Amino acid sequence: MGWLYRLNPLAKVIALAPVLAVVALTTDPFAPLAFTALALVLLASSRVPLHSALYALAPMLLVLLGFVVLYPFLIRRELVSHTPTLLQVGGVPIYEGAIMAGLRAGLRIIALVSLALLFNLTTDVSDFMRALVQQARLPYRIGYSIMVALRFAPLLRYELELIRSAHRVRGIGQPGLLGDFAQLRRAIVPLLASSIRRAERAALAMDGRAFGAFSTRTHFRRVRLTPLDGAFVLAFWALVALVMLALQALGVLGPLSFVQRV
Amino acid sequence: MIAVEQLTVRYFGRRAPSLSGVNLRFNEGETVLLLGPSGCGKSTLALTLNGLIPHSQDVAVFDGRVLVDGQDTRQTSPAQLSQRVGIVFQDPEAQFVMLDVESEVAFGLENLCLPLDEIERRVQRALAQVNLTSLRKASVWSLSGGQKQRVALAALLAMQPRTLVFDEPTAHLDPVGVREVFEMIAALKRKGQHTLVLIEHRLDELMPLIDRVVVLDAQGAVVADGAPSAVFNDHAEMLDALGVWVPQVTRLAQRLGVHPLPITLEEAERRLRGLLRPQLPLHTQTSLNYREAASVVRIHNLSYRYGSELALDDVSLEIPAGSFTALIGANGAGKTTLLRCIAGLLTVPEGTIALFGKDASRLSPLERARWLGMVFQNPEHQFVAATVEDELALSLRQSRLPAREVKQRVEAMLARFKLTQYAKANPFTLSHGEKRRLSVATMLMMNQPILLLDEPTFGQDQQNAEAIAALLRELHAEGRTIIVVTHDMALVAECATHVAVMSHGQVRFWGSAREAFAQPDVLEQANLVLPPLARLARRLGIDALTLDELVAALRISMQDGLAVSVEPAG
Repeated sequence: MGWLYRLNPLAKVIALAPVLAVVALTTDPFAPLAFTALALVLLASSRVPLHSALYALAPMLLVLLGFVVLYPFLIRRELVSHTPTLLQVGGVPIYEGAIMAGLRAGLRIIALVSLALLFNLTTDVSDFMRALVQQARLPYRIGYSIMVALRFAPLLRYELELIRSAHRVRGIGQPGLLGDFAQLRRAIVPLLASSIRRAERAALAMDGRAFGAFSTRTHFRRVRLTPLDGAFVLAFWALVALVMLALQALGVLGPLSFVQRV
Repeated sequence: MIAVEQLTVRYFGRRAPSLSGVNLRFNEGETVLLLGPSGCGKSTLALTLNGLIPHSQDVAVFDGRVLVDGQDTRQTSPAQLSQRVGIVFQDPEAQFVMLDVESEVAFGLENLCLPLDEIERRVQRALAQVNLTSLRKASVWSLSGGQKQRVALAALLAMQPRTLVFDEPTAHLDPVGVREVFEMIAALKRKGQHTLVLIEHRLDELMPLIDRVVVLDAQGAVVADGAPSAVFNDHAEMLDALGVWVPQVTRLAQRLGVHPLPITLEEAERRLRGLLRPQLPLHTQTSLNYREAASVVRIHNLSYRYGSELALDDVSLEIPAGSFTALIGANGAGKTTLLRCIAGLLTVPEGTIALFGKDASRLSPLERARWLGMVFQNPEHQFVAATVEDELALSLRQSRLPAREVKQRVEAMLARFKLTQYAKANPFTLSHGEKRRLSVATMLMMNQPILLLDEPTFGQDQQNAEAIAALLRELHAEGRTIIVVTHDMALVAECATHVAVMSHGQVRFWGSAREAFAQPDVLEQANLVLPPLARLARRLGIDALTLDELVAALRISMQDGLAVSVEPAG
């Protein structure tokens, strides 16, 4: 397992959170590209299979494409009308500025997702929960309850799928959004019925093993915050600063801002 | 030792109590079987033994008391109780908290605030006890059903309780898993360090382990309590009336009028062998009379993948019209996938499945719904209407039948399935057996010639299971083609004309049920076991599979046809 797996999940959160905020504020297309590359390099250095990262990013490429196509039609015209017109679509002028704005928005999302993958692809949910309970002082009753609830998600999805097919066999359900909505509404009662039963059983099984018997519990598997975690946080921030400075030096770093200027 | 004294428990929102005035003792080292009709309070009783009722689950009434090692559960902390009594529940997935085996076993010990070296010692021991040491780091979700139940048991054993309660531990398992769990219980029994309380309905495999049987009636009162042979012999009629599962060999002996009734397979074999006239050829006249007709479902070189996993591997099968076909095999063998492909729930390549000679991939959903009905394992999944009546009328209204006819057909169906009194009730409020009947009824409203069923007898008590088998036989006799996926080998033996034994996505055997059961290696390969009566018949050298066949065969070959008390007991 690569080095990112071995870090304390909280260290990864601390390292990533401010960087995500900065990337969200960038206004040029180069910074997001640089951070996407940085994230991918770090993932590769930690021996995360690249295909799992690409699998997560593929839908984001669609988002990018969607932005580029839709921005010219959705953006307020006076914002981009000073930029050159590239072509006319059905009488609507397509401005270069609008395309660039779409590109920047899409690239930012890809950069944010790539950075988030540094956490997502290298962290075990139960370790994250352990770190929250052991280091962030999250009450253990809440931490473990969230764990169990998370576990129910795939079961729920599986059951919803079952219910849908059970209804399909009966020839029920029309296509389209309205049909989907009606289908979900019909599935809710059986889904609730079985979820409540499952939750009750899970609660009994946990209580039967003394869950919540004492205000504290021991932790068989300790998740530690080590100097290495601290070093990682600082090194990661330094790396990010370096990238920003390099972009600045190259003169391609736009101002950081909540408002996108064109 | 656990003493239950005058215990009455009633849940909120229920008028009738789930347990009424129960007096019981579970003695040190005893193995006790709890029997009763479904919904009779067996599980409630189990929950009171380790104090989950009333500590975790609020109930409207909790009268009387439960003493564990002399201490009232109400005055004992859950932490202490969890180290005295542990419960293995039926749904292995609902009882897991953590993601890997080791953490799951350690979970309870952490809650008890044990020091880490003690936890390590106990985790090691518990995993060794259930033979799962090698899977210590595995994800609990990657395990088979039987392994999951072993993890659940290890997690309890680690807490070192003296009493272990098993509440339908095999209900969700395939035959391999069932065997695993029973072997585990047998191993515990051999060690003799635990008091075991079992709620289970696969009795034939279990009876040799049982010291005592306790029977609850529908009101949750104890109506019988004693040694197995005493309970089954003295209360045979009452057990029958309650719809309680009894060992199959006991039912056989009952039908034959053999007294005293044998309880285990070995006992039955011994007793019946003594009654057989040795010179008689032991073959029955019953032969298969399935009609070799045109196939209604033709499957041709069908493969199906879930992602990279090959679920069906080049399956070809011709299911004849009017057959009763059982798809059997271990979990993950591809049975359910095949059934879903036939039902059109999974998209299959063109030309791989034909219904009545028409390519199934070109059928519209409505056309398909007219030809085949599919009954899901959990009836609730199918219910969409607010009343039983509307549930039945749904498909008729969809095909725009005149209101008069809809009414007539619904009323006829209600009567046929004994649901008339529930016409206005919400389907979700019905009992287990009623829900199952309704789900079958909804799939017959269009008079579909093909009926598919996924585990129709799952979770039913003996009465309901038999009623379902009888109903399916009736529907079959009317000329319908029936295809079931099931682990219930008794149902296969009783009903099926054709059997497809599946394993690893392939059909390993296709033929009559009789041929399938005559080939131990085929069954073994697919990890299946013969139903108890078929096993008994084989040991006696009789060619019979079902209760009726065995009764007929044995009547012929029994001396004088009368066997009442020919042999003394034992």
